[in-house]
Amino acid sequence: MTQELPPPPSPEEPAPSLAEELEAARAEPESPPSIETVNESLRDGINRCPKCGSTDVRLRGSSGMLMCLFCRNEWQETRVEERFGLGEGIRDLDGTVIASGAEDIAADAQDTVTFKCEGCGAEVVVDTAESLNARCHWCRHTLNVNSQIPNGAVPDAVLPFKLTKDEGVARIREFAGRRRLFAHPRFKEEFVPENVMGVYLPYLVVDAHADATYRGEGEVQTRRWTEKRGDDSVTYYAADVYRVDREVSFVVDDLTLEGSSERATMGPGNTNNIVNTILPFDTKNAVQWNASYLTGFSSEKRDLNVADLHPVLEDQLLSIGRSEVQASLRQFDRGVRWEAEGVDVGGSRWVAMYLPVWLYSYFQEDKQLLHYIAVNARTGETMGSVPVSHPRLFLAALTVGTFLEGIAGAILVASA
Amino acid sequence: MMLELMVAASEDDSPWVLLLGGPIGGAATYWLIHRYYRNTDKSHAYERDTIIEADPVRGSEERTGHIAKTRKSGISGDNSGHHRRRVQRLR
Repeated sequence: MTQELPPPPSPEEPAPSLAEELEAARAEPESPPSIETVNESLRDGINRCPKCGSTDVRLRGSSGMLMCLFCRNEWQETRVEERFGLGEGIRDLDGTVIASGAEDIAADAQDTVTFKCEGCGAEVVVDTAESLNARCHWCRHTLNVNSQIPNGAVPDAVLPFKLTKDEGVARIREFAGRRRLFAHPRFKEEFVPENVMGVYLPYLVVDAHADATYRGEGEVQTRRWTEKRGDDSVTYYAADVYRVDREVSFVVDDLTLEGSSERATMGPGNTNNIVNTILPFDTKNAVQWNASYLTGFSSEKRDLNVADLHPVLEDQLLSIGRSEVQASLRQFDRGVRWEAEGVDVGGSRWVAMYLPVWLYSYFQEDKQLLHYIAVNARTGETMGSVPVSHPRLFLAALTVGTFLEGIAGAILVASA
Repeated sequence: MMLELMVAASEDDSPWVLLLGGPIGGAATYWLIHRYYRNTDKSHAYERDTIIEADPVRGSEERTGHIAKTRKSGISGDNSGHHRRRVQRLR
Protein backbone atom coordinates (compact mmCIF):
# COMPACT_ATOMS: atom_id res chain seq x y z
CA MET A 1 0.00 0.00 0.00
CA THR A 2 1.55 3.29 -1.05
CA GLN A 3 0.72 6.44 0.80
CA GLU A 4 0.84 9.83 -0.79
CA LEU A 5 3.05 12.24 1.04
CA PRO A 6 1.58 15.65 1.77
CA PRO A 7 3.08 18.40 -0.39
CA PRO A 8 5.76 20.44 1.34
CA PRO A 9 4.39 23.71 2.75
CA SER A 10 4.91 26.59 0.40
CA PRO A 11 6.85 29.54 1.78
CA GLU A 12 3.71 31.76 1.73
CA GLU A 13 1.60 29.68 4.11
CA PRO A 14 2.74 28.98 7.67
CA ALA A 15 3.66 25.41 8.54
CA PRO A 16 0.91 23.62 10.56
CA SER A 17 1.47 23.44 14.29
CA LEU A 18 2.17 20.10 16.00
CA ALA A 19 -1.33 20.04 17.51
CA GLU A 20 -2.90 20.55 14.10
CA GLU A 21 -0.78 17.79 12.59
CA LEU A 22 -1.76 15.36 15.36
CA GLU A 23 -5.42 16.29 14.88
CA ALA A 24 -5.16 15.64 11.14
CA ALA A 25 -3.49 12.28 11.73
CA ARG A 26 -6.24 11.21 14.15
CA ALA A 27 -9.09 12.13 11.84
CA GLU A 28 -10.41 9.13 9.94
CA PRO A 29 -10.54 9.58 6.19
CA GLU A 30 -14.08 10.13 4.99
CA SER A 31 -15.02 7.71 2.23
CA PRO A 32 -18.09 8.92 0.42
CA PRO A 33 -20.08 6.29 -1.50
CA SER A 34 -18.99 5.80 -5.09
CA ILE A 35 -22.48 6.35 -6.48
CA GLU A 36 -24.93 8.55 -4.56
CA THR A 37 -28.46 7.28 -5.21
CA VAL A 38 -30.54 9.07 -2.58
CA ASN A 39 -33.80 10.33 -4.05
CA GLU A 40 -33.42 13.98 -3.07
CA SER A 41 -36.95 14.97 -4.04
CA LEU A 42 -38.39 12.85 -1.20
CA ARG A 43 -36.21 14.12 1.63
CA ASP A 44 -38.94 14.93 4.13
CA GLY A 45 -40.54 11.45 4.24
CA ILE A 46 -43.67 12.62 2.46
CA ASN A 47 -44.20 11.30 -1.05
CA ARG A 48 -46.68 13.69 -2.57
CA CYS A 49 -48.53 13.29 -5.83
CA PRO A 50 -46.80 15.79 -8.13
CA LYS A 51 -50.19 16.95 -9.40
CA CYS A 52 -52.40 17.39 -6.31
CA GLY A 53 -50.07 16.94 -3.32
CA SER A 54 -51.93 14.01 -1.74
CA THR A 55 -49.83 11.35 0.00
CA ASP A 56 -52.29 8.53 -0.79
CA VAL A 57 -49.96 6.98 -3.34
CA ARG A 58 -49.84 3.32 -4.37
CA LEU A 59 -48.27 1.14 -7.02
CA ARG A 60 -50.73 0.26 -9.78
CA GLY A 61 -49.76 -3.31 -10.62
CA SER A 62 -51.17 -3.41 -14.14
CA SER A 63 -49.13 -0.42 -15.32
CA GLY A 64 -46.16 -0.66 -12.93
CA MET A 65 -46.58 3.07 -12.20
CA LEU A 66 -47.33 4.98 -9.05
CA MET A 67 -50.91 6.16 -8.82
CA CYS A 68 -52.47 8.87 -6.68
CA LEU A 69 -55.65 7.46 -5.10
CA PHE A 70 -57.02 10.97 -4.84
CA CYS A 71 -56.72 12.40 -8.36
CA ARG A 72 -55.81 9.19 -10.32
CA ASN A 73 -52.64 10.79 -11.66
CA GLU A 74 -49.98 8.22 -12.68
CA TRP A 75 -46.21 8.70 -12.84
CA GLN A 76 -43.03 6.77 -12.21
CA GLU A 77 -39.52 7.28 -10.93
CA THR A 78 -36.59 7.30 -13.38
CA ARG A 79 -34.80 4.08 -14.30
CA VAL A 80 -31.52 3.77 -12.39
CA GLU A 81 -29.84 2.13 -15.39
CA GLU A 82 -29.73 5.43 -17.31
CA ARG A 83 -29.81 7.76 -14.32
CA PHE A 84 -26.58 6.42 -12.80
CA GLY A 85 -25.08 4.94 -15.97
CA LEU A 86 -25.18 1.38 -14.63
CA GLY A 87 -25.25 -0.26 -18.06
CA GLU A 88 -21.99 1.14 -19.30
CA GLY A 89 -18.32 1.31 -18.42
CA ILE A 90 -18.18 -2.14 -16.83
CA ARG A 91 -14.85 -2.85 -18.52
CA ASP A 92 -13.38 0.34 -17.04
CA LEU A 93 -14.39 -0.41 -13.44
CA ASP A 94 -11.46 -0.37 -11.07
CA GLY A 95 -11.67 -1.87 -7.58
CA THR A 96 -14.98 -2.15 -5.74
CA VAL A 97 -17.50 0.55 -6.55
CA ILE A 98 -20.41 0.63 -4.10
CA ALA A 99 -23.63 2.61 -4.49
CA SER A 100 -24.87 4.45 -1.42
CA GLY A 101 -27.73 2.02 -0.75
CA ALA A 102 -25.36 -0.96 -0.72
CA GLU A 103 -22.95 0.47 1.84
CA ASP A 104 -22.06 -1.42 5.00
CA ILE A 105 -24.84 -1.78 7.54
CA ALA A 106 -24.07 -0.05 10.83
CA ALA A 107 -24.01 -2.59 13.65
CA ASP A 108 -25.88 -0.31 16.05
CA ALA A 109 -28.56 0.79 13.58
CA GLN A 110 -32.10 0.43 14.89
CA ASP A 111 -34.94 -1.16 12.96
CA THR A 112 -37.44 1.43 14.08
CA VAL A 113 -37.38 4.91 12.62
CA THR A 114 -39.34 7.78 14.15
CA PHE A 115 -40.77 10.48 11.91
CA LYS A 116 -42.14 13.85 12.73
CA CYS A 117 -45.26 14.12 10.56
CA GLU A 118 -44.97 17.16 8.31
CA GLY A 119 -48.74 17.42 8.24
CA CYS A 120 -49.53 17.77 11.96
CA GLY A 121 -46.29 17.41 13.92
CA ALA A 122 -47.16 14.07 15.54
CA GLU A 123 -44.48 11.40 15.90
CA VAL A 124 -44.92 8.28 13.79
CA VAL A 125 -42.85 5.12 14.24
CA VAL A 126 -41.99 2.83 11.30
CA ASP A 127 -40.58 -0.67 11.87
CA THR A 128 -38.25 -0.95 8.87
CA ALA A 129 -37.77 -4.71 9.31
CA GLU A 130 -41.13 -5.33 7.68
CA SER A 131 -42.46 -2.13 6.22
CA LEU A 132 -41.20 1.21 5.00
CA ASN A 133 -44.30 3.31 5.27
CA ALA A 134 -46.83 4.14 7.97
CA ARG A 135 -49.89 6.33 8.25
CA CYS A 136 -50.02 9.13 10.76
CA HIS A 137 -53.06 8.15 12.85
CA TRP A 138 -53.90 11.80 13.51
CA CYS A 139 -53.96 13.37 10.06
CA ARG A 140 -53.86 10.27 7.77
CA HIS A 141 -50.72 11.37 5.91
CA THR A 142 -48.63 8.47 4.66
CA LEU A 143 -45.02 8.75 5.80
CA ASN A 144 -42.24 6.88 4.02
CA VAL A 145 -38.65 6.01 4.76
CA ASN A 146 -36.82 7.70 1.92
CA SER A 147 -33.46 8.67 3.34
CA GLN A 148 -30.95 5.84 3.27
CA ILE A 149 -30.73 4.87 6.92
CA PRO A 150 -27.66 2.84 7.91
CA ASN A 151 -29.61 -0.37 8.73
CA GLY A 152 -29.85 -1.75 5.21
CA ALA A 153 -33.58 -1.16 4.82
CA VAL A 154 -33.43 1.34 1.96
CA PRO A 155 -31.78 0.13 -1.26
CA ASP A 156 -30.64 2.13 -4.29
CA ALA A 157 -33.41 0.92 -6.54
CA VAL A 158 -36.66 -1.00 -6.58
CA LEU A 159 -38.25 -3.15 -9.25
CA PRO A 160 -42.03 -2.69 -8.92
CA PHE A 161 -44.49 -5.58 -8.88
CA LYS A 162 -45.89 -6.35 -12.32
CA LEU A 163 -47.97 -9.49 -11.70
CA THR A 164 -51.15 -8.82 -9.77
CA LYS A 165 -52.07 -10.90 -6.74
CA ASP A 166 -54.69 -12.83 -8.74
CA GLU A 167 -52.09 -13.80 -11.33
CA GLY A 168 -49.72 -14.89 -8.55
CA VAL A 169 -52.45 -16.97 -6.90
CA ALA A 170 -53.35 -18.57 -10.26
CA ARG A 171 -49.75 -19.61 -10.89
CA ILE A 172 -49.34 -21.06 -7.40
CA ARG A 173 -52.63 -22.93 -7.72
CA GLU A 174 -51.56 -24.38 -11.07
CA PHE A 175 -48.14 -25.40 -9.72
CA ALA A 176 -49.61 -27.21 -6.70
CA GLY A 177 -52.48 -28.61 -8.81
CA ARG A 178 -50.02 -30.54 -10.95
CA ARG A 179 -48.58 -32.08 -7.78
CA ARG A 180 -51.64 -33.36 -5.95
CA LEU A 181 -51.45 -37.16 -6.13
CA PHE A 182 -48.44 -37.67 -3.86
CA ALA A 183 -48.74 -34.46 -1.84
CA HIS A 184 -48.87 -34.61 1.93
CA PRO A 185 -52.56 -34.85 2.95
CA ARG A 186 -52.25 -32.00 5.47
CA PHE A 187 -50.75 -29.74 2.81
CA LYS A 188 -53.75 -30.42 0.58
CA GLU A 189 -56.18 -29.74 3.43
CA GLU A 190 -54.53 -26.49 4.43
CA PHE A 191 -53.70 -25.21 0.94
CA VAL A 192 -54.99 -21.64 0.68
CA PRO A 193 -53.13 -19.90 -2.16
CA GLU A 194 -55.00 -16.65 -1.36
CA ASN A 195 -52.64 -16.35 1.62
CA VAL A 196 -49.81 -15.52 -0.77
CA MET A 197 -47.63 -12.61 0.37
CA GLY A 198 -46.21 -9.93 -1.88
CA VAL A 199 -42.65 -9.45 -0.63
CA TYR A 200 -39.80 -7.27 -1.77
CA LEU A 201 -36.63 -9.29 -1.19
CA PRO A 202 -33.20 -7.63 -0.91
CA TYR A 203 -30.58 -8.36 -3.55
CA LEU A 204 -27.22 -6.96 -4.52
CA VAL A 205 -26.88 -6.60 -8.27
CA VAL A 206 -23.28 -6.74 -9.45
CA ASP A 207 -21.53 -5.68 -12.65
CA ALA A 208 -17.97 -6.96 -12.87
CA HIS A 209 -15.12 -7.76 -15.19
CA ALA A 210 -12.79 -10.63 -14.35
CA ASP A 211 -10.01 -12.88 -15.64
CA ALA A 212 -10.33 -16.58 -14.88
CA THR A 213 -7.55 -19.18 -15.18
CA TYR A 214 -7.96 -22.95 -15.24
CA ARG A 215 -5.43 -25.81 -15.19
CA GLY A 216 -6.09 -29.47 -15.58
CA GLU A 217 -5.63 -32.64 -17.54
CA GLY A 218 -7.39 -33.81 -20.66
CA GLU A 219 -7.38 -37.06 -22.61
CA VAL A 220 -7.78 -37.76 -26.33
CA GLN A 221 -8.68 -41.26 -27.45
CA THR A 222 -6.24 -42.70 -29.98
CA ARG A 223 -7.55 -46.24 -30.37
CA ARG A 224 -10.40 -48.49 -29.32
CA TRP A 225 -10.50 -52.27 -29.71
CA THR A 226 -12.17 -55.37 -28.24
CA GLU A 227 -10.58 -58.55 -27.03
CA LYS A 228 -12.23 -61.92 -26.45
CA ARG A 229 -11.97 -63.34 -22.96
CA GLY A 230 -13.63 -66.72 -22.91
CA ASP A 231 -17.28 -66.03 -23.63
CA ASP A 232 -17.04 -62.28 -22.93
CA SER A 233 -15.63 -59.53 -25.09
CA VAL A 234 -13.88 -56.60 -23.36
CA THR A 235 -13.44 -53.14 -24.85
CA TYR A 236 -10.08 -51.42 -24.38
CA TYR A 237 -8.96 -47.86 -25.07
CA ALA A 238 -5.66 -46.10 -25.70
CA ALA A 239 -5.34 -42.36 -25.11
CA ASP A 240 -2.96 -39.42 -25.19
CA VAL A 241 -2.79 -37.38 -21.98
CA TYR A 242 -2.49 -33.58 -22.21
CA ARG A 243 -1.90 -30.82 -19.72
CA VAL A 244 -4.61 -28.22 -20.41
CA ASP A 245 -4.40 -24.49 -19.63
CA ARG A 246 -7.22 -22.07 -20.30
CA GLU A 247 -7.76 -18.37 -19.63
CA VAL A 248 -10.76 -16.19 -20.32
CA SER A 249 -11.62 -12.55 -19.64
CA PHE A 250 -15.27 -11.64 -19.42
CA VAL A 251 -17.75 -9.02 -18.32
CA VAL A 252 -20.93 -9.83 -16.38
CA ASP A 253 -23.84 -7.43 -16.29
CA ASP A 254 -26.40 -7.55 -13.45
CA LEU A 255 -25.39 -10.72 -11.66
CA THR A 256 -27.94 -10.97 -8.85
CA LEU A 257 -26.95 -12.13 -5.34
CA GLU A 258 -29.18 -12.66 -2.28
CA GLY A 259 -28.73 -9.83 0.20
CA SER A 260 -30.32 -11.52 3.18
CA SER A 261 -28.41 -14.18 5.13
CA GLU A 262 -31.64 -16.03 5.83
CA ARG A 263 -32.22 -16.54 2.08
CA ALA A 264 -28.58 -16.99 1.06
CA THR A 265 -28.04 -20.22 3.02
CA MET A 266 -29.19 -23.13 0.90
CA GLY A 267 -29.24 -26.75 1.94
CA PRO A 268 -31.41 -29.71 2.91
CA GLY A 269 -32.63 -27.90 6.06
CA ASN A 270 -34.56 -25.28 4.08
CA THR A 271 -36.14 -24.64 0.69
CA ASN A 272 -34.34 -21.38 -0.10
CA ASN A 273 -33.16 -22.83 -3.42
CA ILE A 274 -36.77 -22.38 -4.59
CA VAL A 275 -36.59 -18.60 -4.16
CA ASN A 276 -33.17 -18.65 -5.82
CA THR A 277 -34.52 -20.52 -8.85
CA ILE A 278 -37.00 -17.80 -9.86
CA LEU A 279 -34.11 -15.48 -10.71
CA PRO A 280 -33.31 -13.70 -13.02
CA PHE A 281 -35.36 -10.50 -12.86
CA ASP A 282 -35.37 -7.80 -15.52
CA THR A 283 -33.16 -5.64 -13.30
CA LYS A 284 -32.56 -3.20 -16.15
CA ASN A 285 -36.06 -1.84 -15.47
CA ALA A 286 -35.40 -1.04 -11.79
CA VAL A 287 -36.34 2.50 -10.83
CA GLN A 288 -35.04 4.96 -8.29
CA TRP A 289 -36.16 4.42 -4.71
CA ASN A 290 -39.57 5.61 -3.69
CA ALA A 291 -41.14 3.94 -0.66
CA SER A 292 -44.62 4.31 -2.19
CA TYR A 293 -43.80 1.33 -4.42
CA LEU A 294 -43.88 -0.74 -1.20
CA THR A 295 -47.27 0.37 0.08
CA GLY A 296 -49.34 -2.75 0.68
CA PHE A 297 -46.37 -5.12 0.34
CA SER A 298 -43.97 -6.35 2.97
CA SER A 299 -40.22 -6.20 2.64
CA GLU A 300 -37.24 -8.05 4.05
CA LYS A 301 -34.23 -6.11 5.19
CA ARG A 302 -30.76 -6.60 3.73
CA ASP A 303 -28.29 -7.85 6.34
CA LEU A 304 -25.29 -8.81 4.20
CA ASN A 305 -22.58 -6.37 3.21
CA VAL A 306 -20.53 -6.29 0.03
CA ALA A 307 -17.56 -7.84 1.87
CA ASP A 308 -19.71 -10.82 2.95
CA LEU A 309 -20.73 -11.44 -0.65
CA HIS A 310 -17.32 -11.12 -2.29
CA PRO A 311 -16.60 -14.88 -1.89
CA VAL A 312 -20.02 -15.63 -3.42
CA LEU A 313 -19.24 -13.35 -6.36
CA GLU A 314 -15.87 -15.03 -6.94
CA ASP A 315 -17.47 -18.47 -6.77
CA GLN A 316 -20.06 -17.52 -9.37
CA LEU A 317 -17.44 -15.87 -11.61
CA LEU A 318 -15.37 -19.08 -11.50
CA SER A 319 -18.41 -21.09 -12.57
CA ILE A 320 -19.21 -18.62 -15.37
CA GLY A 321 -15.60 -18.82 -16.60
CA ARG A 322 -15.78 -22.62 -16.60
CA SER A 323 -18.89 -22.59 -18.73
CA GLU A 324 -17.20 -20.10 -21.10
CA VAL A 325 -14.13 -22.30 -21.68
CA GLN A 326 -16.12 -25.52 -22.06
CA ALA A 327 -16.59 -25.03 -25.81
CA SER A 328 -12.80 -24.98 -26.30
CA LEU A 329 -12.43 -28.52 -24.92
CA ARG A 330 -14.11 -30.46 -27.74
CA GLN A 331 -10.88 -32.14 -28.89
CA PHE A 332 -10.58 -33.92 -25.51
CA ASP A 333 -13.15 -36.58 -26.29
CA ARG A 334 -12.35 -38.55 -23.12
CA GLY A 335 -13.01 -35.47 -20.98
CA VAL A 336 -11.10 -32.93 -18.93
CA ARG A 337 -10.40 -32.91 -15.20
CA TRP A 338 -9.78 -29.39 -13.87
CA GLU A 339 -7.34 -29.43 -10.97
CA ALA A 340 -6.73 -25.77 -10.18
CA GLU A 341 -8.55 -22.52 -10.90
CA GLY A 342 -8.24 -18.86 -10.10
CA VAL A 343 -10.14 -15.65 -10.67
CA ASP A 344 -8.97 -12.07 -10.62
CA VAL A 345 -11.81 -9.58 -10.25
CA GLY A 346 -10.56 -6.47 -12.01
CA GLY A 347 -13.47 -4.32 -10.94
CA SER A 348 -17.01 -4.60 -9.63
CA ARG A 349 -19.97 -2.30 -9.08
CA TRP A 350 -22.58 -3.12 -6.41
CA VAL A 351 -26.10 -1.78 -6.34
CA ALA A 352 -28.72 -2.76 -3.72
CA MET A 353 -32.18 -3.52 -5.07
CA TYR A 354 -35.56 -4.70 -3.84
CA LEU A 355 -37.01 -7.32 -6.19
CA PRO A 356 -40.68 -8.42 -6.10
CA VAL A 357 -41.77 -11.98 -5.24
CA TRP A 358 -45.18 -13.55 -4.59
CA LEU A 359 -44.42 -16.02 -1.84
CA TYR A 360 -46.61 -18.81 -0.53
CA SER A 361 -45.19 -20.66 2.45
CA TYR A 362 -46.29 -23.81 4.21
CA PHE A 363 -44.71 -25.09 7.43
CA GLN A 364 -44.50 -28.89 7.62
CA GLU A 365 -44.59 -29.64 11.32
CA ASP A 366 -43.42 -33.26 11.34
CA LYS A 367 -40.23 -32.31 9.49
CA GLN A 368 -39.94 -28.76 10.87
CA LEU A 369 -39.44 -27.57 7.32
CA LEU A 370 -40.76 -24.41 5.70
CA HIS A 371 -41.82 -25.06 2.09
CA TYR A 372 -42.02 -22.19 -0.38
CA ILE A 373 -43.85 -21.77 -3.63
CA ALA A 374 -42.46 -18.60 -5.19
CA VAL A 375 -43.52 -16.58 -8.21
CA ASN A 376 -41.25 -14.05 -9.87
CA ALA A 377 -43.56 -11.02 -9.92
CA ARG A 378 -41.94 -9.67 -13.11
CA THR A 379 -41.51 -12.70 -15.36
CA GLY A 380 -44.05 -15.06 -13.81
CA GLU A 381 -41.51 -17.85 -13.40
CA THR A 382 -42.83 -20.21 -10.72
CA MET A 383 -41.01 -22.77 -8.61
CA GLY A 384 -41.95 -24.53 -5.42
CA SER A 385 -41.51 -27.32 -2.98
CA VAL A 386 -44.55 -29.46 -2.18
CA PRO A 387 -44.32 -31.76 0.88
CA VAL A 388 -44.72 -35.40 -0.16
CA SER A 389 -46.62 -38.24 1.46
CA HIS A 390 -43.90 -40.88 1.85
CA PRO A 391 -46.27 -43.86 2.33
CA ARG A 392 -47.99 -43.09 -0.99
CA LEU A 393 -44.69 -42.59 -2.71
CA PHE A 394 -43.42 -45.89 -1.33
CA LEU A 395 -46.54 -47.65 -2.57
CA ALA A 396 -46.05 -46.23 -6.08
CA ALA A 397 -42.40 -47.30 -6.12
CA LEU A 398 -43.36 -50.78 -4.90
CA THR A 399 -46.02 -51.11 -7.62
CA VAL A 400 -43.63 -50.13 -10.41
CA GLY A 401 -40.88 -52.35 -8.98
CA THR A 402 -43.21 -55.36 -8.71
CA PHE A 403 -44.49 -54.82 -12.27
CA LEU A 404 -40.95 -54.70 -13.68
CA GLU A 405 -39.92 -57.72 -11.64
CA GLY A 406 -42.90 -59.61 -13.08
CA ILE A 407 -41.76 -58.82 -16.63
CA ALA A 408 -38.20 -59.87 -15.74
CA GLY A 409 -39.48 -63.17 -14.36
CA ALA A 410 -41.55 -63.77 -17.51
CA ILE A 411 -38.53 -63.13 -19.76
CA LEU A 412 -36.40 -65.50 -17.67
CA VAL A 413 -39.01 -68.27 -17.81
CA ALA A 414 -39.41 -67.83 -21.57
CA SER A 415 -35.68 -67.94 -22.25
CA ALA A 416 -35.03 -70.93 -19.90
CA MET B 1 -36.56 -47.29 -21.21
CA MET B 2 -36.45 -49.80 -18.40
CA LEU B 3 -38.00 -52.41 -20.70
CA GLU B 4 -35.41 -51.76 -23.40
CA LEU B 5 -32.66 -52.26 -20.84
CA MET B 6 -34.20 -55.49 -19.72
CA VAL B 7 -34.54 -56.82 -23.25
CA ALA B 8 -30.96 -55.80 -23.99
CA ALA B 9 -29.81 -57.55 -20.83
CA SER B 10 -31.67 -60.70 -21.77
CA GLU B 11 -29.83 -60.78 -25.08
CA ASP B 12 -26.62 -60.77 -23.11
CA ASP B 13 -25.76 -64.07 -21.57
CA SER B 14 -26.42 -62.87 -18.02
CA PRO B 15 -30.17 -63.35 -17.49
CA TRP B 16 -30.01 -63.03 -13.68
CA VAL B 17 -29.11 -59.35 -14.03
CA LEU B 18 -32.74 -58.92 -15.12
CA LEU B 19 -33.88 -59.52 -11.56
CA LEU B 20 -32.28 -56.21 -10.57
CA GLY B 21 -34.80 -54.43 -12.82
CA GLY B 22 -37.50 -54.43 -10.12
CA PRO B 23 -35.55 -52.79 -7.26
CA ILE B 24 -33.82 -50.34 -9.61
CA GLY B 25 -37.10 -49.37 -11.27
CA GLY B 26 -38.80 -48.92 -7.89
CA ALA B 27 -35.98 -46.75 -6.52
CA ALA B 28 -35.92 -44.65 -9.69
CA THR B 29 -39.69 -44.10 -9.48
CA TYR B 30 -39.40 -42.97 -5.84
CA TRP B 31 -36.54 -40.62 -6.63
CA LEU B 32 -38.12 -39.09 -9.76
CA ILE B 33 -41.47 -38.33 -8.11
CA HIS B 34 -39.77 -36.96 -5.00
CA ARG B 35 -37.67 -34.63 -7.16
CA TYR B 36 -40.72 -33.47 -9.13
CA TYR B 37 -42.51 -32.48 -5.92
CA ARG B 38 -39.67 -31.06 -3.84
CA ASN B 39 -37.40 -29.59 -6.56
CA THR B 40 -34.37 -29.86 -4.27
CA ASP B 41 -32.03 -29.93 -7.28
CA LYS B 42 -33.19 -26.63 -8.79
CA SER B 43 -31.31 -23.35 -8.62
CA HIS B 44 -30.75 -20.22 -10.69
CA ALA B 45 -28.60 -21.04 -13.74
CA TYR B 46 -26.58 -17.83 -13.54
CA GLU B 47 -23.94 -19.21 -15.95
CA ARG B 48 -26.58 -19.13 -18.68
CA ASP B 49 -29.12 -16.52 -17.53
CA THR B 50 -26.80 -13.56 -16.99
CA ILE B 51 -25.62 -11.09 -19.60
CA ILE B 52 -22.02 -12.19 -20.21
CA GLU B 53 -19.58 -10.80 -22.76
CA ALA B 54 -16.52 -12.98 -22.98
CA ASP B 55 -13.32 -12.32 -24.91
CA PRO B 56 -11.95 -15.21 -27.00
CA VAL B 57 -10.61 -18.04 -24.82
CA ARG B 58 -6.82 -18.22 -24.61
CA GLY B 59 -4.86 -21.29 -23.65
CA SER B 60 -2.54 -24.11 -24.52
CA GLU B 61 -2.29 -27.87 -24.28
CA GLU B 62 0.82 -29.99 -24.09
CA ARG B 63 1.04 -33.75 -24.52
CA THR B 64 2.48 -35.21 -21.33
CA GLY B 65 1.91 -38.93 -21.64
CA HIS B 66 0.13 -41.85 -23.20
CA ILE B 67 -2.17 -44.52 -21.81
CA ALA B 68 -1.50 -47.70 -23.76
CA LYS B 69 -4.40 -49.83 -22.54
CA THR B 70 -7.31 -49.09 -20.22
CA ARG B 71 -10.85 -50.34 -19.74
CA LYS B 72 -12.12 -46.89 -18.71
CA SER B 73 -14.05 -45.12 -21.46
CA GLY B 74 -13.27 -41.63 -20.10
CA ILE B 75 -10.86 -39.67 -17.94
CA SER B 76 -11.31 -40.25 -14.21
CA GLY B 77 -12.85 -37.34 -12.30
CA ASP B 78 -14.15 -35.53 -15.38
CA ASN B 79 -15.48 -32.20 -14.06
CA SER B 80 -15.51 -30.15 -17.26
CA GLY B 81 -19.31 -30.11 -17.25
CA HIS B 82 -19.73 -29.48 -13.51
CA HIS B 83 -19.11 -25.76 -13.39
CA ARG B 84 -19.95 -25.36 -9.70
CA ARG B 85 -17.65 -28.10 -8.41
CA ARG B 86 -14.77 -26.06 -7.03
CA VAL B 87 -11.19 -27.31 -7.26
CA GLN B 88 -7.98 -26.03 -5.70
CA ARG B 89 -7.75 -22.24 -5.83
CA LEU B 90 -4.78 -20.55 -7.48
CA ARG B 91 -3.64 -17.49 -5.63
